[in-house]
Amino acid sequence: MPGINLRIADRAWERLRKHCAPSFKGRRDTEFGAIGVLGRRDGPDGKLRELVVAEILWPEAGDVVSRPRQALTFSSRYMRRAHMLGRKRGLAGIITFHTHPTAENEVGFSIYDDGQDPLLMENLQELYAETWLSSVVLGAASQQGRLWTSPADCTMLASLIAVGDRLRYLPLDGKPPRPAPAPSEIFDRALAMTGSGALALLADMTIVIIGASGTGSLVCELLARAGCRRIIVIDHDIVKLANLNRILYATAEDARLKRAKVDVLKRGIEGLGLGCEIIPIRGSVLDDAVLRKLNGADLIFGCVDKDYPRMLLCKYAYQHLVPYIDVGAEIGGDKEGIVSTDARVNYVAPGRWCLRCTGLVTPRRLAFESLTAAERQRKIALGYSDDLLLKQPAVMDLNMRAASAGVMLLRHLLQPFLLEPLPVTLAENLVTYNMKALPAAKAATHSCNICQVNSFAGFADCGEKIGLDTDTAAALIETDDDR
Amino acid sequence: MQISSAKAEVERLATTGVPVELLIEGAQPYVLARGLDTPAPPWDSASRDILIPVPLAYDLGTGLDGFYIALPYRFEGGEHNRVNGQTVKVGGREWRGVSWHYPDGKPFRPSVDNIESHIVHCRGFFLHRGAVNARN
Repeated sequence: MPGINLRIADRAWERLRKHCAPSFKGRRDTEFGAIGVLGRRDGPDGKLRELVVAEILWPEAGDVVSRPRQALTFSSRYMRRAHMLGRKRGLAGIITFHTHPTAENEVGFSIYDDGQDPLLMENLQELYAETWLSSVVLGAASQQGRLWTSPADCTMLASLIAVGDRLRYLPLDGKPPRPAPAPSEIFDRALAMTGSGALALLADMTIVIIGASGTGSLVCELLARAGCRRIIVIDHDIVKLANLNRILYATAEDARLKRAKVDVLKRGIEGLGLGCEIIPIRGSVLDDAVLRKLNGADLIFGCVDKDYPRMLLCKYAYQHLVPYIDVGAEIGGDKEGIVSTDARVNYVAPGRWCLRCTGLVTPRRLAFESLTAAERQRKIALGYSDDLLLKQPAVMDLNMRAASAGVMLLRHLLQPFLLEPLPVTLAENLVTYNMKALPAAKAATHSCNICQVNSFAGFADCGEKIGLDTDTAAALIETDDDR
Repeated sequence: MQISSAKAEVERLATTGVPVELLIEGAQPYVLARGLDTPAPPWDSASRDILIPVPLAYDLGTGLDGFYIALPYRFEGGEHNRVNGQTVKVGGREWRGVSWHYPDGKPFRPSVDNIESHIVHCRGFFLHRGAVNARN
């Protein structure tokens, strides 16, 4: 999305709007507000791309002084609490929210705000030179936001992105959302299902797909055909004869020349002429240098069959408040034969369970996969890991069901049409003709340090490094001999 | 991240007098636990060092499993049938993998178990259970 955006967990945004709602009821003469702390998310070019609300410190008695028909003031104690919390955690700065009760449709900063924000910024930078101040003013149906990097440098924010069970993009220009332009003729047949607003969002989003094989190449094709105009595809592997039957656009010539899967996908998708740009990245998300490329994305599609990258993507999703849709196919069997063939989708976002809590990722498999390739071989030699070496199904007809469900879920996030609340796992068992919407996380842990008590949630780049250094990642990436 | 909690655990154990240290060999982390009490006989020494491979996703809630025994060793004058893994050179010493796993239904519990409890689990190998296994 263009401009500098503000990212927030949907639950926090809902609570903030609820906290401020009295401003817009009754006499409408009293301002409400709160202060939060901010992480920052830089784009691949190293420039600030987004601010991320890591936490809102809900005001206690005496923290906010607000009288009818007067401007609200935050107490110095409240301000200090937020500032010290941000500094202690190594965050980018603080953010203030306050209402303008009479702003019905449009809202904008007042002359008083314009005078106070630079003074506050000056005070904060006297305490700590590296800190930033963002401020958001809320009207009944709109909001405006800006960022101060010094008392003299102010940048207006573009959009507020609320991530949770839904994905909301709200303008921060002080105006209510405007009608979206009509989609181009290529995509207008989708209007019956996805409105022009959602289609415009999809066109503006950058989506990253991890994995360019059976499922990833299908997701890429579906996204391009849905109207997404910018897709980053990450995969470290090359086309081989063994996977030729399930990578879209791959040819025997590609296998012979050992072309990278991501390059083949770029050639194929861009060749469709749908106006979709593919940015190929050859590498593994285990490598932190590659994982950081996700900073250029608004949403992640995970199309991998390994638990370790899945968990790193979960960690990334909570630390950066970025939605992550994991798609895959699993075959279950017993002595009698196949008992389930699941085309599965899981949605990971703030307020939702991670893949470990859902039971998709198991500690045992995760442990095995996160040993170096050499150590894994020694483990295999002991003979206690045979079950961990089973390949996930690589069957296009099954992968297609999962890819389709994943892209449908994205459509829902942009313009809801599925039954809510969204299940923890959505799986279609083709053996029993049964669509399963699993409402519970079967391995839920309320002390989970990934999704429940993640001490870096919303920190984005101010949080800890998530991936491995390049050499360590290389030591983990399996060789063909591994399987 | 990754094994920061393993590092913290090892440091905590070391400060309480448990002789452990973290080694990295070719990107693979190991916990070296020195001087585990071992009954001699049947073992050839009253104490023995072990090496525990630590998954790089330890902070993400993985378990620990198995360990290596320092070479050379003797059990009842010969080999122990569960010391049947491959050998590895770490920290300038040779080690051999021991097939010693958590029983079905009682796995390593990431939010409850830790390096210290895994060392206790490994000690079980040298004590009664390991000796009985060797004769089975």
